[in-house]
This record gives sequence, C-alpha cells and structure tokens, in this order.
Amino acid sequence: MKQLPIYQDLFKKALRIRLVEEDIISRYHTDKIQSPVHLSIGQEAVAVGICEALTPSDLLFSTYRSHAFYLAKGGSLNAMMAELYGRVDGCCKGKGGSMHLAAPEVGFVGTSAVVASSISNAVGSALAAKLLNKNQINVVVFGDGATEEGSYHESLNYAALHQIPLIFVCENNQYAVHSSLDERQSYQILAHANTYGIETHKLESGYDFVAVADYMKTLVASVKKRPRPVFIEIHTCRYKEHVGPGEDFSGGYRTEQAVDEWKSKDPLVIDNETISLFKEALLAEIEDSVNFAENSPLPTQQHLLEDIF
Amino acid sequence: MTTLSYVDSLAKAMHDALAENDNAVIFGQGVDDFKGTFGTTLGLPEKFGAYRVQDTPLCEEGMTGICVGAALNGLKPIHIHIRADFLFLALNQVLNMAAKYKYMFGGHHDVPIFIRAVIGRSWGQGAQHSQSPQAMLSHFPGLKVIMPATSQSILESYRYAINDFSGPVVSLEHRLLYGVNFDVEEDKLRTGENALTSYIVREGADVTIVATSIMVLEAIRAAKYLASYGISCEVIDLHSPTDIDESLIIESVRKTGKLMVADTSWINFGVSAEIARLMCQQGFGLLQKPMAAIGMAPSPCPTAKALEDLYYPNQEVMIAKILELVERNDIAIPNEKSMADVYKKFKGPF
Repeated sequence: MKQLPIYQDLFKKALRIRLVEEDIISRYHTDKIQSPVHLSIGQEAVAVGICEALTPSDLLFSTYRSHAFYLAKGGSLNAMMAELYGRVDGCCKGKGGSMHLAAPEVGFVGTSAVVASSISNAVGSALAAKLLNKNQINVVVFGDGATEEGSYHESLNYAALHQIPLIFVCENNQYAVHSSLDERQSYQILAHANTYGIETHKLESGYDFVAVADYMKTLVASVKKRPRPVFIEIHTCRYKEHVGPGEDFSGGYRTEQAVDEWKSKDPLVIDNETISLFKEALLAEIEDSVNFAENSPLPTQQHLLEDIF
Repeated sequence: MTTLSYVDSLAKAMHDALAENDNAVIFGQGVDDFKGTFGTTLGLPEKFGAYRVQDTPLCEEGMTGICVGAALNGLKPIHIHIRADFLFLALNQVLNMAAKYKYMFGGHHDVPIFIRAVIGRSWGQGAQHSQSPQAMLSHFPGLKVIMPATSQSILESYRYAINDFSGPVVSLEHRLLYGVNFDVEEDKLRTGENALTSYIVREGADVTIVATSIMVLEAIRAAKYLASYGISCEVIDLHSPTDIDESLIIESVRKTGKLMVADTSWINFGVSAEIARLMCQQGFGLLQKPMAAIGMAPSPCPTAKALEDLYYPNQEVMIAKILELVERNDIAIPNEKSMADVYKKFKGPF
C-alpha cells in the first residue's frame, strides 16, 4: 500500500494528529493547558480514514476523545490549540476545552463528555437530513463502552425503525476507562446491532488508515444509494492512559505487550521513511499553533455570560 | 374576545406550529393515536402527514437526543410527554445536552426544541404521575421553563417559543386545566420575549400572591372571595420561572407589604424559595409580615383521595394564610377545598 498517493496523504494527516498530541504531552506539565485531555494516540487511523470519505457538508458527531476527529474533519489547528489554552480564539471561545470541540464550518458538529449522548443527536441530525432532503451523510463515532448505555439502544431502535441514513462507527479500543470489554458486556456488539436489523461491518485493522478509508468510502456510497442505517465496528488501540498525557501499564489492567503488538503494525511507528518526509513541516505548523494560542486573549466576564441562549 | 379552552388552545398552538413552520415536527408517544395526546394533536397527522406528527418508541432520553440533533440540522422538534415525570428519563439530554449545546460550543449551535410535559393531578395520579419539576429544570442555565395558566398564555408563549426563540423550552402544562374555558383577547396577545414573562392578572392593594400554573386560578378564586370582605389581593402569574419579572413582584410588594407564593410543587428548594431570595436581595425591608408559602405537603403524592386532599394546598389553607397576613379573624373560611367544580368534571382515567 505504500506506493499509493493516498497512503502518503493519509499518513501525513494521521502523523499531524499524533504530533499535535505529543506536543500537548510535552507541554501538559506546564499547566498552560488546563483541560482534561483524552488522547487519541494509536487511534488516528480511524479518524483520518473515516473523514477521508466525507465532505465538509457531511456531519460528524464524536466523543470527548475528539482531537483526532476534529482535526481529520478539517477543524483549524490554531483554534483547537487556543481552545485547549482556554483562549477567546478557541474553536468554542474557551468554553468547551478538549472534551467539547466543534467545527461546524467543516461538518464537525460537536462532542459529548457524557458517553453515548451524541449518538441520539446524530440520529436526529440524520432524520433532519432525510426530511429536509439534504444531500448529506451523517456519521457518529462512539467507543465500545457507549454501547452499554440505554440511549444507544434507543438510538439503534429508532434509526432502524425509520431507516435513518446514518453510519454508526464503533471505535473499539476494548476499554472503558480501565475496564475491559469482556468484563462489561454480555453481548457481541455487532451481533447485537444486527438484531435491530441494522447491516453490520467489522474492520480489525484499525491501524491501517487506507483500509479504513476504503471501507468507509464503500459504506458512504452504499448509504447514498440506499438510505439506511449501517454500523461498522473498527478495532483500534489506545496507547496512552484513559485521560491524561501518561501511560498506565503499571495499573495492571492491560499489558504493554498487547499494545506493542499493535504498534508493530502501526505505520506511524514503523514507517520512519515517511515520517521523515513530513515531520519537520508539521512540527513547525504545530509550533505556530501554540504561538497562536499563547497570543490569543483570555476570555473575560463579558464572555462568561454570552451564548447561554 | 373569544372563549377557548386550555385544551383547544393547545390544539390550536400545535396546529399553528406545523402550519407556520414547514420544518416543525411533533414527536411523542401516542401523538397520532385516537386520543391525540388529550386532544391536542387530533387531526394533525391527517393534515400534515404522518412523519410530521410522529409516534415514538418508549425512549424518552433517546428521543430527546434525536430532537436535539434534528434541531441542530434544521428541524423544529416539538416533543410531548403525557406526564412530566417521564421527562426525568430525558434529563441527560435536556440538561447535559440541549441546555449546554450553545454555550459549550461557543455559540456555534442553536437548539430550538420545544418540550411539552403534563403535570398530573387528581383521580389517584400518585407519586410518579403528578410531579411538577419547574424548580429543578429552572435551576439550569440554558433552558427556558414556562407554566401556562391560561389559554391566552398558551397562544402567545407557544407562538414565541416555537417560531422565534432559538433555544430549548420546556412547558409544564397542568392536566386539570385542560378542561377549563378561558377568555382570550387575540388583539392583546403578548409577543416576543414579553410572551414569557410574569404579569399581573388581578390588581390589588393588600396582599401580593405570586402563583404558578393552576395555582393562579386558585389565587383568583381566593381573591374574589376575600374581595367581598374588603381585602384586596394582587395576583401575579409568574408564568416563567426562568424569566421572572422581578421588578413586577418587588413593586407589588412595595405596595402591599405582604406576600404569598402559591406553587404547584413542593415548597423547599422551589419557586417559593426563589421568590424569598428575590425579596431578601432586592426587597429587603418591604415585607410587613413574614412571607407565606403554599405548595404540596412534603411527601410523595399519595393516591387515596383522603390523603390527596391533605397533600395538595386548598382554598381553606390559602385563605387562612392570607387572613393571617392581613390580620383579620372576622371572616369565615369557605368550606370549599379547592377548585371542586373543575375536579368534579375530571373523571379519569387520565
């Protein structure tokens, strides 16, 4: 797959996300960023692959682990960095922080820090797209933990009942905070979704951005042709702790070996040649975004009480 | 002036919402059935199409989330709960999502959803079919809460909330008001933000009664009774616990020196407490007597009629408290528990 231009294109996008988050890690100890960060390192391929199949007018709802999806969908890096720094030029004027990024100008609607809450929002958005005859694909991303919540089931039922054209993407990294999937679920995610009559798909190579993009493009074309809900589960791997900049293998709930096995297939780890093609320019862009954030004004009393209604 | 029942004004408001907004959609359990949500959505599926008046699965949280997403993407959803208690299942979406969307995303999104929820009372509604959650809902910035007490109030506030207001609104409708007829002055319908705020429904000089929902009617009845003994009550319909006209209340108390709050819910941590805060902060020293408050007894709602009669505040209690405020002990307290004429008409099962 290395020969394809799309490989390099997606590689660059994924590497950009990783470098942004590594930069966040490097600065987190300074407390200039005072926002709980849920890092996507290890999961970037899912974000860039999904977003490769979407246009800016297609709408994406995602979770609090949102940096990767925000950037992959085309959200401004400067605005994201300013948001993390709590500045007025942030993508949400400093009122959202890491967990509540939004960039509606490129179809990144928003995120929720309360797990599963945006799934039904996406169903409603897709319903609106259907009723208002919008030429628009709606996508919702959620983790494996979200499938345990009641509103997830309500959302699947409604979407299937009314044949809502929506792509459900379950980004399965096997863990909800520190609890593994087999400790939490009595069901198989896809088999269960299928009981609602929803067509299901599975992709285990969630490190492979080209594979994700190809699969997603096929799904998007299929939903455009025959509007209906479809569901894809993509396996992935979270390299860092649930929340924060560190690693947590000492916690004993998972092994470093399993993560290393995933890393051994991750192009962003093993393809040093392509990394070196892009790294320098990306680091310069990230440095610029940090400068942008640090030079953006702090919000004031006036901002505090704006945008409530 | 025309006469219009509360239920007919709701039906008219729902009809007008669909007729005036091509993108308005009514969701709710049973909105398209033969009862049409107590008669407020009857005929609408036939006229506007099944998709615009949509029966829903039993999924209060999911459906509220669907309304939020639909509102974000161009629809104007109206979501109906036949009991306000069922709205509790949706609080995650109402309070964590709808009320936060605009703010936490820095103003990117408006969430114009309108939620109707019915307060049950009488005929054994019991602990889980009778709650009146205005205080809880009003606590959270980002949400408007209204409690229409009359047909006029429905016509004006629903039109504003659905057609003009861009944020989430919850309307708490009182089931016992549904059968009551009201005078409607169409040429005097309030518009814009005025459609939400508090107003004086009866002027008076001796006591200020601030009331919500059906308690406005109870207050008017008490005021009429006391007027024949020379006691003049000013009745203020609070209407929207989130948009209280504070100066209206302060000025009224400046005139009367005496205040009673009559709410449809419990007194603690409620509307009464909020009005007491207002008086302490902005009207300190205006009260000539300690403020009075009436609401439900501090228990869950019982079903037995005998207990229910003790649980809800009634005319006896209201008038007795007003007489204490005005220091009169020469007036007989009427032997009428409450709006008995209305309640007698209410036969259930709903």
